[in-house]
Amino acid sequence: MEVLERLLNVTLVIATIRTTAPILLVALGGSFTTKAGIFNIGLEGQMLVGAFFAVIGTIATGSPWLGVLCGIAAALTLALIFALLVVSFKANEVVVGLALNILAGGLTVSLMKAIFGTRGSIFGHGLVGLPALKLPNVKDLGWFGQMISGYTPLVYAAFILVPVLILFYNRTRLGLYIRVVGEKPEAAEALGISITRIRYVSSLLCGLLAGLAGAHLALGYTTMFTENMSSGRGFMAVAILIFSNGDPLKILLGCLLFGFSDALSLRLQTLGISSYLVLAVPYLVALIALFALSYRSRPRVIQETLASMGRALSVKSNTVKPAAATDASKP
Amino acid sequence: MSDRFDSFFGQALAILFALGLGALVILTVDESPMRVLVTLLNGAFGSPERIAGTLLQTTPILICGIAACISFRAGLFNIGIEGQLFMGGFWATWVGFSFNLPPALHLLLAMAAAVFAGMAWIAIPAFFRARYKTNEVVSTILANYVAILITSYLTINWFKRSGGQSETPPIFESAYLPELFSFSRLNWGLIIGLALALAVHFFFTRTSRGYAISEMGANPKFAEYGGIDIKKQTFLVLIASGAVGGMAGGVEALGVHHRFMEGFAPGFGFDGVIAALLANGNPIGTIFTALFFGALRSGSLLLEVDTTASREIITVIQALIILAVSAQITIRRKASDSTAGERRWKF
Amino acid sequence: MSLAIELKSITKRFGSFVANEDVNLAVESGKIHAIIGENGAGKTTLMNVLFGLLQPDEGEIWIDGEKKSLPNPAAAIAAGIGMVHQHFKLVPSLTVAENVFLGMEIRKGGLIDHAAQIKKTAELSKQFGLQVDPNERVGLLSVGIEQRIEILKVLARGARIIILDEPTAVLTPQESRELFQTLRGFVAQGMTVIFISHHLEEVMEVSDNVSVLRLGKNVASRPTAELTKSDLVQLMVGRLVSFDRLPRTPTAGKTMLEVEDLWCRDDRQLQALRGVSFGVRAGEIVGIAGVAGNGQTELAEVLSGLRPSSHGAIRLDGRAITGLTARDIRAAGVGHVPGDRLVRGVDRNASIAQNILMGRQDKSPWSKHGIIDRGYLQEQTQTLIKRFDIRAQGPQSTAKSLSGGNIQKIVLAREFTGGGNCLLIDQPTRGVDIGAQEQIHGEIMRQRDAGKAILVISVQLDELIRLADRILVMFGGTIMGEISGDRVDEEEIGMLMAGVIPEPRSNTVGAA
Repeated sequence: MEVLERLLNVTLVIATIRTTAPILLVALGGSFTTKAGIFNIGLEGQMLVGAFFAVIGTIATGSPWLGVLCGIAAALTLALIFALLVVSFKANEVVVGLALNILAGGLTVSLMKAIFGTRGSIFGHGLVGLPALKLPNVKDLGWFGQMISGYTPLVYAAFILVPVLILFYNRTRLGLYIRVVGEKPEAAEALGISITRIRYVSSLLCGLLAGLAGAHLALGYTTMFTENMSSGRGFMAVAILIFSNGDPLKILLGCLLFGFSDALSLRLQTLGISSYLVLAVPYLVALIALFALSYRSRPRVIQETLASMGRALSVKSNTVKPAAATDASKP
Repeated sequence: MSDRFDSFFGQALAILFALGLGALVILTVDESPMRVLVTLLNGAFGSPERIAGTLLQTTPILICGIAACISFRAGLFNIGIEGQLFMGGFWATWVGFSFNLPPALHLLLAMAAAVFAGMAWIAIPAFFRARYKTNEVVSTILANYVAILITSYLTINWFKRSGGQSETPPIFESAYLPELFSFSRLNWGLIIGLALALAVHFFFTRTSRGYAISEMGANPKFAEYGGIDIKKQTFLVLIASGAVGGMAGGVEALGVHHRFMEGFAPGFGFDGVIAALLANGNPIGTIFTALFFGALRSGSLLLEVDTTASREIITVIQALIILAVSAQITIRRKASDSTAGERRWKF
Repeated sequence: MSLAIELKSITKRFGSFVANEDVNLAVESGKIHAIIGENGAGKTTLMNVLFGLLQPDEGEIWIDGEKKSLPNPAAAIAAGIGMVHQHFKLVPSLTVAENVFLGMEIRKGGLIDHAAQIKKTAELSKQFGLQVDPNERVGLLSVGIEQRIEILKVLARGARIIILDEPTAVLTPQESRELFQTLRGFVAQGMTVIFISHHLEEVMEVSDNVSVLRLGKNVASRPTAELTKSDLVQLMVGRLVSFDRLPRTPTAGKTMLEVEDLWCRDDRQLQALRGVSFGVRAGEIVGIAGVAGNGQTELAEVLSGLRPSSHGAIRLDGRAITGLTARDIRAAGVGHVPGDRLVRGVDRNASIAQNILMGRQDKSPWSKHGIIDRGYLQEQTQTLIKRFDIRAQGPQSTAKSLSGGNIQKIVLAREFTGGGNCLLIDQPTRGVDIGAQEQIHGEIMRQRDAGKAILVISVQLDELIRLADRILVMFGGTIMGEISGDRVDEEEIGMLMAGVIPEPRSNTVGAA
């Protein structure tokens, strides 16, 4: 009991919200490309350059907000290259995505060495993070107030984006067209909707949020840049996107699952469990979810087959004659 | 004929373009591209020792590249070679230090352990890809992280050498992969890699099974119509790819390090994937692309010593080359081929 | 009598092929005008010209008495024309209302106003008697309702002239009748309907006027009441069917392939086969005639193991092969020439030799101990290239470098030499030039004389008349009737193809 109490309490909820935010941002970004029918494995790299350039921008200007803009601009550049190669040149999306991830990894480390002469991490150098937002009057709300106040702005942004995206997909023309292009390109074409344009827009929107996710990682979640600091969050986001099909609400649920496993595993560390095993937990959760959900789709196929067989038999009893005879006996 | 020439010409142009971009990147980090090039060449080929060093770096890239080729030819993406390499390396080492056996047998068993570890590590993603079309790109990438953490955990919590830093005890000499020259750690791994490249090339061009798998990668509907069991071949191809990935780890452990440690073989799996992509899935071509990347890696060691540029600059160049030729890489894979792109509507 | 549409001397060519030649068509407003003709008669091309999807090479289009140029569908829509295509373009995860207003969303304050869209959809639905639930997701609906939505889309865009391209091809008889009622409702409200079909019954039932297209020309335009079914068949088929049946001696032996009460569904989960039974004997060619999309391709796929059957039995030489995999059916001795040869029949990027190898790569002497005997493969490919007269530089030429006819010959060369005793041939000469057609027909006859049981599926009637010993006519997933190859009555076949059981012979007109 004591162990459970130590593990599960308000601070765990707070930790979950904190750890969920970065992956939620990047996964919501990926929802644009997923909905538009593009498999974007390059989220990881976009997030990484977002983090790096957010730090560079902050150090250069002294303003973390300008840093965020720099991070977004860098991620957008990668997103533009992705769209150019995949949409316009019809290159393989897996190949391009992987290459961009590798590029991001190499570029950030090279530039770090060139600019700061160090390897590993950047902190100090006048680097300031985004300020934490203290919501007014939350004292009165007790533990709930404690739970919803005191995060950096991009945490709020991540969670607010969920309903915004739901609204976007359901109520705006662009959101609708993105869905149509992904689900039934022929329909889009027939209505004169440019598939190319919509896919470019989705890729760039994706880059925008992935850059924001990176900036949050470097200026909100921590106040530093570390080599490969996205550490697979982009790939986990892709896993979430596969089984959520890009739906914002399901993405939120998936990300909360990861945030929770992340937060919980950090707690487990305090219980003396090896940090290596603990760090593996989120990846394992992603893998298990990926496999379990693809396995789950199996019974549905069986159900459909059974249903169609049932229909076949019922149709058979009353259609044998109609098909052959009714046509002929029509007046 | 002209088709081939065009594609060669296009490829060459694209690589030149990428190198030009690379030079620009180098300029932005305040270093002279020419000096970087000279240092790279000197580092890679400047002396017999350095050439051996280049070949030493080439070996794991080549074997990982072959592993990638096997999956690419079937239209599949095993991006988890890094993880298979770590697993293979660890379990080969474990056999190497846990048992004391006669020389040849010990080496053979340790290598077998590496191969089985690689196969075991891809088995679950392979099963789900074959049976339920679960996207193998994502599952194998995520498995990489787990493999690296688990092998580190095993090394530090269970098999740490007393007095040593995060590393296992050394393996017995009976499990060593013999070295080729006295002046370098270059070993039989290179010969294994070259033999594998030839064998895989032979497999895909000359055997019935290889033919069936290539056709499955090129046109699955045609293969299905011709009576090829897609699910079974998908599973077997991924397992074979994982086996070779594990073998790469075995070669590194038994031939180079003679132990397992944290950061055992950084990035070789990914370099292998890139080498195979650049060779468009051709094992013979992968020999040359792996050599190219091996030279870059080996040269970059001197680069960090002699210039202000970081050795990661070569990663940037590699990525730029792949991006530049990406439109010409014909390895088939549609997202619609997996659950990722299956735009199945649900409520 | 005012004309809604008048087409004057429309000619449309695709390369050297003339799809429409000097077609004149006058459609009275407030009437249902049927356009009927065989496959490839040019019906769809003509309608695409009218809808702005294709530009005519010659001729004029007049709408409501005004000369118009229609450079794109948008111009046609602006002129009040709406087209319901044969293949629906609906988005399954969207609601009915969202689909109806897709591309012309009603917005309020920048956001899509779902309530307004639903209301308008309901209004349209009520006004035109097209019952739909605007809130329902399209993916859950039947094909009949999907068609209603497509019609609603057209109506929502203000169309007064509606073109329906083979609207009943995907409908059940009941759904068809409901559609006809709807169409009558349209003309009652003063709208004009153009109805493309090759089903005689329907045309007789629903249309006021009918135009018959044959080989790209309008051969007749008359009030439907002045015509009988037999007249229509005669106009559709013309006198052009060649009766140069290939000479043969009876060689039919025991029954090799037996099909009993076979049922299956197509990709859309619609019933494609409804209780098909027949047999093919050794040394016999059985032809399957029918308008495309009546279950013929699905039949070939089920027989070759590429599509599961939901009911029924298939026997080869007395042995049940129902439900076996493609590989096992191949091994049991069935060769299959697929209808979609570029998708399934060949790997376009592979060489002729590699294409010849498919399916036999594990068999001696093609391979020994798992290793392909390249010398043998080369030699055999060379032999087959000669025997089937494949025009290529050599065994290493890629399939995609060859013409359609030569690609088909690769498929035939492979499937005819597989050592089996049964052949399924789907569209033997689709897209193949005349010279190659002769050769392919000759080769099929040689296979027959060698004692193989052969099933030939073709939408070209004259091809079947040339080849088949017996012709089975398919319609709506069933076999409507059987005709002996040496006593072909084109009228009778035409009727069967249109889903009509012919009246007693004495009543038919102009037997061959």
